[in-house]
Amino acid sequence: MKIVVCVKQVPATTAEKRYTPDFRLDRASAESVINPLDEYAIEQALRLQEAGTVESVAYLSMGPEQAAEALRRALAMGGDEAYLVTDDGLAGADAWATARVLAAALDKLAPDVALMGMASDDAKGSLVPGAVAALRGLPLLSYGSELRLEDSVARIRRLNATGYDIIEAALPVVASVTDQVGEPRYASLKGIMAAKRKPLENWTLADVGIGADELHGAALTRVVEVRPPEAKAPTERIENLPAEEAATRIADWLGARKLI
Amino acid sequence: MSDVFFLAEFVGGAPARSAQELATGAAALAKQSGGSAVGLAYGEGAAEGAAGLGAWGAARAVVLGDSNAPAITHAAAAASAVRDGELALLAPATPNGRDLAAAMVGLLGVPAFGPVRAVRFEDGRLRAEASTLQGTSVTISEPVDGAPSPAVVLVLAGTFTPEEGSGTSAVESVETDGGPLAAEHVTESHAEGKAAVNLEEAQVIVAGGRGVGSAEGFAQLQQLADALGGAVGASRAAADAGWVPYQLQIGQTGKVVKPALYLAAGISGAIQHRVGMQTAENVVAINKDPDAPIGEFADLFVVGDLFAIIPKLTEEIRRRKGA
Repeated sequence: MKIVVCVKQVPATTAEKRYTPDFRLDRASAESVINPLDEYAIEQALRLQEAGTVESVAYLSMGPEQAAEALRRALAMGGDEAYLVTDDGLAGADAWATARVLAAALDKLAPDVALMGMASDDAKGSLVPGAVAALRGLPLLSYGSELRLEDSVARIRRLNATGYDIIEAALPVVASVTDQVGEPRYASLKGIMAAKRKPLENWTLADVGIGADELHGAALTRVVEVRPPEAKAPTERIENLPAEEAATRIADWLGARKLI
Repeated sequence: MSDVFFLAEFVGGAPARSAQELATGAAALAKQSGGSAVGLAYGEGAAEGAAGLGAWGAARAVVLGDSNAPAITHAAAAASAVRDGELALLAPATPNGRDLAAAMVGLLGVPAFGPVRAVRFEDGRLRAEASTLQGTSVTISEPVDGAPSPAVVLVLAGTFTPEEGSGTSAVESVETDGGPLAAEHVTESHAEGKAAVNLEEAQVIVAGGRGVGSAEGFAQLQQLADALGGAVGASRAAADAGWVPYQLQIGQTGKVVKPALYLAAGISGAIQHRVGMQTAENVVAINKDPDAPIGEFADLFVVGDLFAIIPKLTEEIRRRKGA
């Protein structure tokens, strides 16, 4: 059994971010990390490998050449090999183009499970897992708080309104997991050293069988304007007041806004 | 050429709040573009309730499926219900809505926007407005020239306010075999405790974080929420600690809410929480740490002991409401 975990390199949450003149996120200027929610997908895959359910764990990313750093970091956590689809034709890729490219690369790798985080820190759409499943013609098991594999069937535990459901589909599948699968491990020094010797292959668009003219310039959407948000009224502060007085002040504040 | 589709999820026989909001929003957008609002109804009660979407402005409704099957299983039906050339498909920015929207992007090769906080028809184009870079920027986007349509737009809860009238939708159904995306099955369903209040619908949310310290602490917040006529929510730290179920979690990996009042008690306001509540109309924070990040974006920041203030505030609200 083989899992490929899709990994995205994103600007660190704390990094200073800005747009380029053509309204793209300036990725070169910001400190980059593995998308934090992808680390849970990595953790889930490695737990299944440690349990002996899965023989091989590979990583797949689409991004600029520097995204290889994110793949090395993933390999330092564990797993066997990594693939990076990098091509000048992919700058500014949107959810659709990203899904097209990942789907083509996954078709080539043909894993039993293509596993992803539930969302990326920067785009926040959660669209790639479902779009990849649709493009590949495979079932989607999304937002799992746990992924189990047995007898050619994948099962996820997913929250419902009052508890949880178990949802299953026959392999191969595309799946996404949440931050409830368990805390991602840290890479050990040994893991970091080992990662340097693990195979990391670069693929171009041609390598995954996509012609540059098939991607509408890598995006079906364009940003036409970026502006600062509307100025917000400054925060009112209440400090050093006895509880009763503070409570009265809050009630007055709510009352003035017709919230009581 | 200018119809606006929307995903209408039914829960327990009735349209979810998201369906009412999106019907209202789709009707407004269709009015601008000169088309009609068309509901794509799925979930328990969709067949019987689809005509009722007309009350919120849907001229037509297409029933994708009437069952508790995972939303993604309706993807092929949804794809066959829309046509290239139509303007937009509005989807709720919920897990189910995102799954179906994502499948449309994959199946139809259409542009996707969002999650957005406004969508308009301007100069003959669809324009979507989103808050990005942790709320420090607002971006306006549109489909590139020649892009297939309808454009998929993920819409945050609370972006539109439901306006209920008295219309009725013409109802159609679609026949598909479901395809590979219909291969997911729910094999077990477990209920744990009582049904949680739907946070996405609550107009008042009293949310607690690490500072609340225990399940008993959350009982105090529940009393305040009851007094205000609202619901209780929580940060991830509080859900991880087991003080409340994950269904109440608000933030990047939980619910995204937009109530009229968000009262945060003992929540520091990390970015992962903030993205779940930053569009609330009024934010009141109570925290003993004067430097908590939430103090930077709350409208009213009260530095103090929540265990002393919350009971007094509950009393005061009850007194004023009773008066």
